[in-house]
Amino acid sequence: MLFLPRFDYEEPRTLPEALDILSDLRSDTKVIAGGTDLIVNMKKGSVDPARIVSLKRLKGIRGITRKKEIVAIGSYTTAADIARSDVIARSFPVLRKAALSLGSPLIRNRATIGGNIATARPAADLPPALIALGARIKLRTKGTNRTVIPDVFFIGPGRSILGKDEIITEISLSTLPPFTGADYIKLGHRAALEIAIVAVASRITLDSPDGVIRDARIVLSAVAPTAVRALSAEGALLGEYPSDELFAKAASLAMNDCSPVSDIRGGADYRRDMVRALTIRTLANAYREACGQGVGL
Amino acid sequence: MKKIITVTVNGTEYESAVNPNMTLARFLREGLGLFGTKEGCGVGDCGACTVIMDGQPVNSCLVLAVEANGSAIVTIEGIGEGGKLHPVQEAFIEAGAIQCGFCTPGMVLVAVNLLENNPSPTENEVRQALSGNLCRCTGYQKIVEAVERAASKIVCGERAGEL
Amino acid sequence: MKKTYHTVNSRVPRVDARAKATGEARYAADLAMPGMLYGALLQSSLPHARILNIDVSRAKMLSGVKDIVTAKEAGTVKYGVSPARYDETVFCADRVRYVGDEIAAVAARDPETAQEAASLIRVEYEPLPALLDIDSAMSDGAVLIHDDFPGNIGAEVHQEFGDVEEAFKGCDIVRTDRFVNKRQDGGFLEPQACVAQYAEGHLTVWSSTQSVHYVQRSLSMVLGIPIGKVRVIKPYVGGGFGPKAAVNTIELAASLMSMRTGRPVKMVFSREQVFMHSRARHQFVHELTTGVKKDGTIVALKNTCHLDGGAYSSFGIATIYYAGSLLGAPYKLANMKYDGYRIYTNKPACGAQRGHGGVAARAAFEQQLDIIAHELGMDPVEFRLKNIMKTGDVTCNDFNMSSLGMKECLDAVRDGSGWTEKKGKLPKGKGIGVACGFFVSGAGYPIYRSETFHSTATIRLSEDGGGANLYTAAAEIGQGSDTILSQIAAEALGVAFGDVKIYSGDTDFGIDLGAYSSRQTLMSGHAVKAAAEDVKRQVLEVLSDELNVPRDDMDIENGIVIFATGRPDFSAVRSAYAKEHRGWVQSSLPEGLTFKEAARLAFLKRGVIVGNGAYKPGELGGKYKGAAVGTSPAYGCSAQVVEVSVDMGTGRVTVDSMTDAHDCGFAINRTNVEGQMQGSLSMGLGEALFEEVKFDGGGRVINASLGEYRIPTSLDMPNVRTIIIESNEPNGPFGAKEVGEGAIMPTIPAILNAIYDATGVRMNELPVTSERLYTAIKNKVK
Repeated sequence: MLFLPRFDYEEPRTLPEALDILSDLRSDTKVIAGGTDLIVNMKKGSVDPARIVSLKRLKGIRGITRKKEIVAIGSYTTAADIARSDVIARSFPVLRKAALSLGSPLIRNRATIGGNIATARPAADLPPALIALGARIKLRTKGTNRTVIPDVFFIGPGRSILGKDEIITEISLSTLPPFTGADYIKLGHRAALEIAIVAVASRITLDSPDGVIRDARIVLSAVAPTAVRALSAEGALLGEYPSDELFAKAASLAMNDCSPVSDIRGGADYRRDMVRALTIRTLANAYREACGQGVGL
Repeated sequence: MKKIITVTVNGTEYESAVNPNMTLARFLREGLGLFGTKEGCGVGDCGACTVIMDGQPVNSCLVLAVEANGSAIVTIEGIGEGGKLHPVQEAFIEAGAIQCGFCTPGMVLVAVNLLENNPSPTENEVRQALSGNLCRCTGYQKIVEAVERAASKIVCGERAGEL
Repeated sequence: MKKTYHTVNSRVPRVDARAKATGEARYAADLAMPGMLYGALLQSSLPHARILNIDVSRAKMLSGVKDIVTAKEAGTVKYGVSPARYDETVFCADRVRYVGDEIAAVAARDPETAQEAASLIRVEYEPLPALLDIDSAMSDGAVLIHDDFPGNIGAEVHQEFGDVEEAFKGCDIVRTDRFVNKRQDGGFLEPQACVAQYAEGHLTVWSSTQSVHYVQRSLSMVLGIPIGKVRVIKPYVGGGFGPKAAVNTIELAASLMSMRTGRPVKMVFSREQVFMHSRARHQFVHELTTGVKKDGTIVALKNTCHLDGGAYSSFGIATIYYAGSLLGAPYKLANMKYDGYRIYTNKPACGAQRGHGGVAARAAFEQQLDIIAHELGMDPVEFRLKNIMKTGDVTCNDFNMSSLGMKECLDAVRDGSGWTEKKGKLPKGKGIGVACGFFVSGAGYPIYRSETFHSTATIRLSEDGGGANLYTAAAEIGQGSDTILSQIAAEALGVAFGDVKIYSGDTDFGIDLGAYSSRQTLMSGHAVKAAAEDVKRQVLEVLSDELNVPRDDMDIENGIVIFATGRPDFSAVRSAYAKEHRGWVQSSLPEGLTFKEAARLAFLKRGVIVGNGAYKPGELGGKYKGAAVGTSPAYGCSAQVVEVSVDMGTGRVTVDSMTDAHDCGFAINRTNVEGQMQGSLSMGLGEALFEEVKFDGGGRVINASLGEYRIPTSLDMPNVRTIIIESNEPNGPFGAKEVGEGAIMPTIPAILNAIYDATGVRMNELPVTSERLYTAIKNKVK
C-alpha cells in the first residue's frame, strides 16, 4: 500500500484567511485544490509538505460567469465543470475539448483549472488551449494582486512564477472576435487515462470568411519544458490566405519551435513529426470553424 | 493533529477524528468497515476505489478524509435498498458483467451515477463514463451491455410506476 | 439424439455475482483479525549485488515493531515452481539478483510503522555487474547470476520431429522471420495480499492465489510444517492471469512472522510491488523458419527462441517448453524443430501468463503464415483451411486432437466478419486480418512430477436431500469456476442449480492444482461430475433396495426420480419423508418421486451421503523429453478476424471490430464462455498495442503503475462478435474443454495482419505503439 506522509491541514473559510496562512513562509506549505496531482506525488514521496492548505471552503473561486465580453473561470472550477458548461461550449469549444481529454471522468470531477495550471506539468491539458485563447491568470497574495498571461506563467517542468504565498484565483477569457476558430488535439496511447505524447492547440482569426489570417496562435505541448507557442509558425500565417500548403509550411516551422526529449512516452524524433501532423490538423479544423459562423458570437 | 470530520455515508452521518493523511478510501475501509471500496493502485489510475462524493464519482484514494468533511458519500454498500438490488446491480448480474469483481463496485457506482444524469445514454456515452475504471477481465463488453440493460430497466420501471 | 440438459449449456448467472455486485465479497486485503500485525518488505534497490551486511538494529528500536526476519531467521530452503529449478529462498542470504529481491520483512502494529521500520534496515552491498538483457547475460565472461548455470542459460530445450532441414529442401518457399514481444504484466486489478495465522501448530493462510495447493505445499516444505497442518484459503480473488499461480514471498514471510509472534500477520502488495514481483509474461525472441510447397502445403517449421527469464525460474521451465510445443498445431505439419533457451537476467522473474508460453510464438507464426499466403497469392483463410487438422489427427509431437473444431471456427469468422467482401477491398488506412489459435485444456502433468490426482471433489447431501454441498480446492479467480462446477454438479446429480452450494479454494476441501493452464472446467469439472455421480449412485442404490427396482433402471433429472419402465409404488418412501417433518407445514410434492425423498431415505439408511470424485488424465502421448509440457487431455482452438483503422499521419491504431470463434467443446455456461473470449481479446489487444514493462539502466521498472503500463480502457475495446463452437470433446465433462487462456491466441496476429492490410507494413516487434508503426511506415516510404 501507498501511504501519505504526515502533515498539518488547514481549511480556511475565506480567501484573506487562506492568504494569511500562506504568508507565513516558515512552514513548507502546499495548496490543495483537486489533489489529483499533489496526493499522487505525496504518495510517491516526491513531495513532502509540512502543511496543506485546502481551498475547498473558499467562496467565489468556483464556477464560470460571463460579464459582457469576459468569461471568468474560478480557479477551483473542475475540468468536469468546464466540460459541462454551456458558456464554455458556446464561446470556447476548444477549452471544452481540452477539458474532456484530461485523465478520466473520475479525475475530471476533482482536477481543477487552477491546479492544472499551478502544477506546471509540461503535458497538462488545459494550458495549451488557454494560451491559444489568450487567457489571463489572476494571482493573489496577502498584499498583492496581479494578472499574468499563461505564456509567461510557466518556467519549466513543475516550475512557474507562482509564489509560495500566492493563490491562483481566476482565469479569464475575452470572447473571441468573429471568424475565429480553434482546435486542440492530444495524441496519447490509449483513448483515456492518458498524458499527452504530443498535444497541439491552434487558433486562427480571419479578416472575413474568405479573407486572410489576421491573428494566429499555435501552442505545442509535451515537446518543451513548458507549453510553448510556435512563434515562427504563427508568423508564417499572418496576412496569408489559408490553404493546405500554408498550414503545411507553418507546421514544418513549428517543428523547430519546440525542443522535444525522448522519455517514457515517446521519442524526440517522433514527437517532432507529430508536432507537424497535429499542427496541420488543428489549423485545418480551426480554419473550418472560422469559416463557419465563427465561435464566440 | 487529528481533525474532527462529519461525513454522511450512505445516508448515515458519522462524526470521526481522523489524521489529515488518511485518505477517504482508507477511512471508508478501515474506519467504517466499508470494504466494498477497493484499492487497486492508490494513485487514481484504476478507479477501483470509486465512490460518489456529493453527486459525483471520484477516486477515493485521491481524496483526503478531511476534505470529505461535510460531504455526502455513497459507496457500493449504499446502492440498493433494504436487501433489494438496484437495477444496475441486477443488470450486472444478469448480463455477466462481473468476473473477478474487483472493479465491480466502482463500475456499478459510475453506472448508477451516469443513469441518474442521463437515463438513456448511447453506447459511446457509457464507454466514456466508464473510461476511468479499468477492468482486466471482461473486455468491458458485458459491462456496457449491463448499463444499457439497466437503463431500460429503470425507464420501464418508471413507466410502470406512472401507470 | 441431443441430450436435453437442465443446467449446463445455459446462461445461469454466476453464483458469486450478487456478493460482488453489492460489495459484500471479501478479498484478502479486506480481512482483519483481532491482534493482527501488518507486514512490510525490504526489497533490494540494486539489480545485482552481494550482501555484505544487514543491520536491523535501528528498525528494531522503532516503537510498534514486533518482528523482523531475514534469511538468518527464515533459513535458506530452496523453493520454486519446478523441483528441478528450485532457485529461490524466502529472503536473499548473500546476494540480490533484481531490484525488488526480498531481503527482510517486518511485522508491526500498523502498516506505516512496518514500512518505516523496513526503510530503517541498512544493507551493505557490493555491486555486481547487472545483466539486464539476453545478450549481455549470454556474453562471454558474463558474471553468473546462479552459479550452477553457465552462460546464464537457466534452461534449454532441443526437440526435433521429422527432419526439418531435409524437408526444407523440398519446399518452394522457405522464409525466416524474427519476432519479439515485450515483457508484460498481469494487470489484474487486485494486488496480491494475504493474512497468515499460526496457532497451536496449525498454520492458516488466506491469500490472493490461483492455487491453494501449490501454496500449501510450498509453505509446508519451506517452513517445515506437515502438509496436514497447513491450510490455505483463497478468499475472493481479483484476477490472476498466471502471476498468482505460485507461492509468493509475502505468503512465506507473513507465515513465518505469525509463527514467531503468535499473532496474525497481514501483508499487501502496492501496485509497484506487483510489477516488481512480476512472474508474468516473458519477453520472447523467436526466429521462425517455415517451409511450404507451391500448392500451399505447410511442410516444416524451425523455431528458435530466447526467453528473458529474469532472476529466477518460477514457471519458466514450463514456459520454455510451451514456446515450442504449442506451435505446429492446429496445422498439419510433419516436421518441426525447436531450440529454446531461457536466460537468467537481473530483472524480476517471469512466469506464466494467459496463453502460457505460446502467445508470442503464435503471433510470430500466424503473421508469418499471412506473409506466406500473400507470397503464394492465396487468401489467408483458404491457406489456413488447406492446412488445418481435424478431429482424430495427431501432431508430429504426439498431441491427440480428440476434438478440433478448427474448420468450424474459421468458417464462422469468415462468414461472421464479412471477410470475403472486405479482404483486399478496404481503403488505405483500413485493414482486415485473420489468425488462428490453439491451446492445451489443462497441463497433462502437475508442475511437480507426481502421481497425484489433479482434482478431487466431494459432495455432501443435507439430511433432507434439499441441498448438495460441493467441496473443492479449485480456485475461482474471476473466470467463473464456482459457477461452472456448481452447474456440473447440479446436472450430473440431477438437481436444481440452486440446490448446489459450492465451497471452494480451500486446501481442507481437497486437492486441486488450481487455476492455470486453462484446466479447471475439464479437470475439476471431471472430479465434480464423478462426485455427483457417486452421490447419485448411492441414493439410487438405497432406493433400489427399497423399491426393488434395478438401480440402472432409475435416474434423477431435474430433482425427480425417473424410472425406465413403469412406476413403482413409492408411497412408503413418501410417508417416511413426511414422518421426518412431522408438525411442519408441508409444501405439496409433485406427482413423481423427488430426489429429496430418495435422498432422505438414503440418509436414514446410511447416514450422511458423501460422494467423492477424483481426476487425473489418462495415458497421454509423447515419450520424448519434454513431452509432459504440451500434452493435454484435450485442445481448444480458435479463429479471429480483426478490422483496424490506422491513422497514417500518427501511426495510431484503432481496433474497429473483432469477430472471434472459439471451440470450447461444449459451453457449460455460454455467458461465461463469451466473457472469457471477450476478456482474452482485450488482453491481447493491450499486448498488441500498448503493454510493455520498461526498465531503466539500473534495472528498475520505470512504468510500475497502471497509468504508464497501459491496459485497455473501455474506449479502446470495440464490441466483439463472439461465436461459440462446440465440437464435443470426448475427454471433457459433458464434452467441455478450455476457453480461458486459448482465446487470447489469435488476437495479436489478427491485429498485426490487419495492420499490414491497412498499411503494407509488417511489424515484428510488440507492442505496436503509434510511434513504432509511424516509424515503420516512414522507413518503408523512404
